[in-house]
Amino acid sequence: MNMKMPCLHLTKIGMIGLLAAGLSAISAGQTVEMHVPAALVAGGQASIPTTGSGKATFYLLGPGVSRKSEVNLGDEIRLESQETQNAGAYQAILCADNCQSATFYVSAAEPSGLYFLVHPSRVPVGQSDAVSGVAIPFDQFRNLILSPATVQFQLTAGTAPLLSRPVKTQAGIAWFRTTSGRSAGALQVVASLGSVVARRVVQQVASDPCNLKIEGQRTKTGITVETEPVRDCSGNPVPDGTIVTFTATEQGGKSTVDAPIKQGIARAQISGQGAALVSVASGVVMGKELHIGAQIESRPGGQP
Amino acid sequence: MKSFLAATHFRKFLGTAMLALLSVFPTALNAADSASELSVQFDVGRAGPRAIESLTERAIVRDYRSAWMSLAEAVESNNGDLLETPFAGDAKRVLHETVISQQRSGLHQRYLNQSHKLEAVFYAPEGDVMELHDTAEYEQQVFDGSKSIQDQHVVVHYVVLMTPSSDRWVVRQLQVVPQF
Repeated sequence: MNMKMPCLHLTKIGMIGLLAAGLSAISAGQTVEMHVPAALVAGGQASIPTTGSGKATFYLLGPGVSRKSEVNLGDEIRLESQETQNAGAYQAILCADNCQSATFYVSAAEPSGLYFLVHPSRVPVGQSDAVSGVAIPFDQFRNLILSPATVQFQLTAGTAPLLSRPVKTQAGIAWFRTTSGRSAGALQVVASLGSVVARRVVQQVASDPCNLKIEGQRTKTGITVETEPVRDCSGNPVPDGTIVTFTATEQGGKSTVDAPIKQGIARAQISGQGAALVSVASGVVMGKELHIGAQIESRPGGQP
Repeated sequence: MKSFLAATHFRKFLGTAMLALLSVFPTALNAADSASELSVQFDVGRAGPRAIESLTERAIVRDYRSAWMSLAEAVESNNGDLLETPFAGDAKRVLHETVISQQRSGLHQRYLNQSHKLEAVFYAPEGDVMELHDTAEYEQQVFDGSKSIQDQHVVVHYVVLMTPSSDRWVVRQLQVVPQF
């Protein structure tokens, strides 16, 4: 452990010494020194050497730590590893006749984990800047690692690599944003830093339907219409349950039916006897229109 | 006689009213004092990749300020319950450990005249995490029981991670560094 030892002078002065001033006071008392580590890595052990003689009270204040102990001046004060696990500023205070303090810093240890936030959990294919991830490296004591490190982001859809990008952390954070892939299915998102790996999965789903086409026929009670298999522009089947809206416009008015896609196709029965123009839509996408003629009325005797 | 009784009643009423006022006022004054002791300035100019909406900006100032008020009260009274709402994750764990450790050693701390210069340095694309740098200045007093062992003005650099919860932003990481 590389440790510089800044020196803190603590002048232990008797009451008479306190009443005196300047150099005479210092010469009347004893000079006490405490050497705190200049830098320490989380979970490391350290010693704080002291000089002087007699008893003193030592305090250590830091993140998660508040210690008070009686010490013999001239001895080393030991800092155990569990006292230095949290990165941050620590104050060592040594009180004899008066109190003096010194501050030292504990920095994070080696990376042992990554907070990895990936959005969204489900994304339509082919959307620009739709997938993003934020990686924050931590050490084994859950301290933020603020020294620059390179996080490798890898996105794979099926066996096809979508993105592989090294990103240097800035202020402890690395992030990416990218376009979703072209095929529906699981998108594996991996962030790695040395041997530390975090994995997430984003479900890529079909985007909006593309080229919605319908066919229909007149029945005794109205019109039956159904779509061709509904797919997005990349050819991915649009998931079952997606709502397709059929609208039939007749001379007498308009009828609308919402139907979910089942096994790739949406079907609807629309009542009405006259000629109708049937349109189809799903979300913001309009499909092709279909014209269906009027019901031919049957006359008694079977004559049209 | 009547006027004497009336005067006695009036004095009694005045006494009760004064007592009532005294019992209410110290709390109000303390709240005002502690509130005026804590200022937060927030600079969102460097935030990215997501821009910080003005509503979020106000919420961060409100919740970070509230977190520090709770923190100061928790380490002064050694009451870890005060950390429950404004803190989460590792920040809450470490602060709880501080309070428990102070209870054991008989120490407590006081943070006075707090001034926080907060700067957003990262705001995630989806708005689910924000990193802030806080240059905090305050007077730190350390007590062993009732005996003051330290009283100093300090400038401290905090790296802060905040995340949104159901109704507020919570402090998830609070780590001191020598400098940014």
